[in-house]
Amino acid sequence: MTALLDCRGLSRAFGGLLALDGLDLAVAEGGILGLIGPNGSGKTTFFNVLTGLFPATRGEVRFAGEPITDLRPQAVYRAGIARTFQRSRLCLPLSIFDNLLIGNHKRLDHGLWSNLIDRRALRRSVEQGLAEARELVRIFDPPLADRMLEPASRIPMIDRRRIEVCRALISRPRLLLLDEPSAGMTHDETTRLMDDILQVKSKLGGLTIILIEHEMSVIERVTDRCVVLNYGRKIAEGTYAEVARDPSVRQAYLGLE
Amino acid sequence: MSIFAQYVMNGAMLGMMYALVAVGFTLFFGVLDVIQFSHGDVLAAGAFAALAAWLLLTKMGIASPVLLLLLVVVAATLSTALLGAAVARWLVLPLKNAPQLNVLLVTLMMGTVLREAIRLFYPGGSQPQLFPALLPTRGYVLGEFNLRIDNVILLAAGALLIAGTHLLITRTRLGLAIRAVAQDEETARTMGIDFRRIVLVTFAIGSALAAFAGVMDGLYYNEIFYGMGLLLGVIGFAAAIIGGLGNLYGAILGGFLFAALQTIGAVALPFASAYKDVFAFGVVIVLMALRPTGIIGERASERV
Amino acid sequence: MKERLLGVALAAAAAGFLVLLLRAESEKSIAALIAVAVAAAVAAVRLRLTARFRPALAIVAVAAVSLALHEDDFSLLLLARALIVVLACLGLNIQFGYAGVVNFAGATFFGVGGYTAAVLARGTGIPHLLVLFLGGAAAAIAGTILVVPVLRTRGHYAALVTIAFALLFRTFFEVNDSLGGPQGLKLPEMRIGPLHFNDPIELGSFFGSFYLKYIALSLLFAALGFALVLRLERSFIGVALDCIRLDETAAASFGIDIARGKITAFTLGNFLTGVAGALSAFMVGFIAPNNYSFGESLILVSILLLGGVGSPWGLPLASAIVLLLPEKLQVIQEYRFLLFAVMVILILLFRPSGLVPRPLRKLA
Repeated sequence: MTALLDCRGLSRAFGGLLALDGLDLAVAEGGILGLIGPNGSGKTTFFNVLTGLFPATRGEVRFAGEPITDLRPQAVYRAGIARTFQRSRLCLPLSIFDNLLIGNHKRLDHGLWSNLIDRRALRRSVEQGLAEARELVRIFDPPLADRMLEPASRIPMIDRRRIEVCRALISRPRLLLLDEPSAGMTHDETTRLMDDILQVKSKLGGLTIILIEHEMSVIERVTDRCVVLNYGRKIAEGTYAEVARDPSVRQAYLGLE
Repeated sequence: MSIFAQYVMNGAMLGMMYALVAVGFTLFFGVLDVIQFSHGDVLAAGAFAALAAWLLLTKMGIASPVLLLLLVVVAATLSTALLGAAVARWLVLPLKNAPQLNVLLVTLMMGTVLREAIRLFYPGGSQPQLFPALLPTRGYVLGEFNLRIDNVILLAAGALLIAGTHLLITRTRLGLAIRAVAQDEETARTMGIDFRRIVLVTFAIGSALAAFAGVMDGLYYNEIFYGMGLLLGVIGFAAAIIGGLGNLYGAILGGFLFAALQTIGAVALPFASAYKDVFAFGVVIVLMALRPTGIIGERASERV
Repeated sequence: MKERLLGVALAAAAAGFLVLLLRAESEKSIAALIAVAVAAAVAAVRLRLTARFRPALAIVAVAAVSLALHEDDFSLLLLARALIVVLACLGLNIQFGYAGVVNFAGATFFGVGGYTAAVLARGTGIPHLLVLFLGGAAAAIAGTILVVPVLRTRGHYAALVTIAFALLFRTFFEVNDSLGGPQGLKLPEMRIGPLHFNDPIELGSFFGSFYLKYIALSLLFAALGFALVLRLERSFIGVALDCIRLDETAAASFGIDIARGKITAFTLGNFLTGVAGALSAFMVGFIAPNNYSFGESLILVSILLLGGVGSPWGLPLASAIVLLLPEKLQVIQEYRFLLFAVMVILILLFRPSGLVPRPLRKLA
């Protein structure tokens, strides 16, 4: 298996609390991995450590063969990993397009000369960027694509979450980390969101996804493998059907029977 | 040797004053995640209130030094407690959900309002005002060093106040409520704690402590002036930062540390005493660069 | 077409008003004019007139006002000061309004520019135009002392450090005799090429105060600064700076180099403020430490907040209000620190977006 992401013995301690405890996790290129577990089991912490927001206490992470364990978040992003956040983190006073430009940071020219002095290339880049952004957003919600220049504060929560996913996708990452993207959505909205993400995945090609979710029907439908965490440790791994049958998983979620 | 003792005494006095101010900053930050930039000027207002009270009382014919001292201190602490609570009620709490920068700005401007109000409206306010010597000025001569009684009293009182604050925070129900709110506002509210009341009380306590520092300042230097709060506030804030914002012991430690730095600076650069402040702040900046969360540690902020 | 006519009409009205205000002598007429202005402002808000002016119109209006007052030294000096302060506040705007970097030492950096100009103009033969830019550079370099705490996430570190810097640097100015001590330093006459800036203008029968030259120069610099700030906002860099201000976690997660962004904003901002300070020093002819106090820094901040933080469009109006009012109503001159502090408190409590709220970004 060509593992795009390979974590060995990943640990993260906060004072006395071990939020991640010797996690071994690998994702094949092009795969969709579901990351599940009860609240507080370390799923978001895993994303945070992976993207460099918190340094790992122990262990190592390899991405496409290269070690990324101690890289800053900026470097992890440049390597091709993009994410969404559990709590929505859009810049609300800025326009939708501005927010997407932030997501596209590494593909844009931020030099002083081209931004301040000779702006012809900038103007072309903006036009191109707007067209690209519109196209991406249209997949998720066509009316939203016509509102690109409105402030993000003016769109409802569900559209904001869609924009957040677009923000992560627009830089054409190799690995997409989705942290409970469906929070606050109805079942139908969730289904639609996941379908749109899959559509982008097939369009882009070469996209790998790790999905943190609480809605099991989504996990079952969309993922090809699952990893179950509890207290920072991996307690089960396999297809959804396999882990759903696993007694230790049931115990983790439902308690001792 | 006596010069050394003099420096130590001076440093201890300054340290006590800074610690009292720093404790206020740290309490406000702990409870509301806010830097109350008018704290120093509230202190100055308290000192002037004390002076005004003394003038009034002596005019009324009250001569007993103990009574004078008591009433003056009461006047200072009461006025600052009310002022601090008012700032919390009308400036800080309404801006709770605004960007952090706005609270900083609003309290900074409030400080200016207080400072300028004193300068413009207190009779002769733009000049330093003589502060009465309300404590016995006798001294015990130890070798060449003159140990003044008033200094000892001030230090002891300051220490008692800090100890009292510590007891309040750790041993009383009020202190428990304050700590609960500092830890987690939402949970504290669900536990039935009156959030607004606790905030107001905390601001009142922190400001009252600073009032004592203001009176101390007046008694020690025998004069007060309208700008005294500005530098004291900045130093108190710096002290709270190097000790670790939100941490009571850190604030105390930071206060004495800053005083020590100033004293070292004054000793090392006798030709330019103005530079002692530059030296002390320079060290603070370096410390902040090396240990950004302070020596003991700032309260962690948000979850990602 | 109608909008253009309306814009011209409003510009003309504003220019006329300004001339009347600057010319007015009696307190009654000044008070009346202010009342008219307030009424007009309320009407503008009600009618939802955007106060975003057209820069070309504004320049013409300022030129017209200056020519109308061509012999009135005092008024021209005020006008020039207002323009210079706009430039200084543009620098603060980049720091506060875009990158979210707090700076309470604006007047100090202004002073660094001024002192640099004084020292260079007195002691060297460096052409004065270059001296202006060197003043800006000196302020930018002075800012690097504070860079590390300024980079800290929580604004209160930067606030503390810049306040301390403001308080202590003034002492530095006062104590240093080589910098003139408390008396300050005098500057030689400013010369750019063949232009002598302290000579009045005599063209045929037209006689104009020499301040007209300073107005032209300040207008030029203010316009350039304005263009720079607008371009900065309407660029990818501007988007990145906004993100740094609004959400550092998201910024980092999408590759934005936060330290570099803040340092760029802080340094560029101080540069503009320093240039403004150098220009001001030449115009006034001397500099002294007590003009660069912490209180003056707070005045700059209050102009920024009054105009609308992050919005350069409100700066000319705010600068005019804060500078002109105390000069015309001498009675409030003493109270201006108090008054403007109260004003800022009210703004922050009731209209935090300022007089001219920042409009949505128009990229390229």
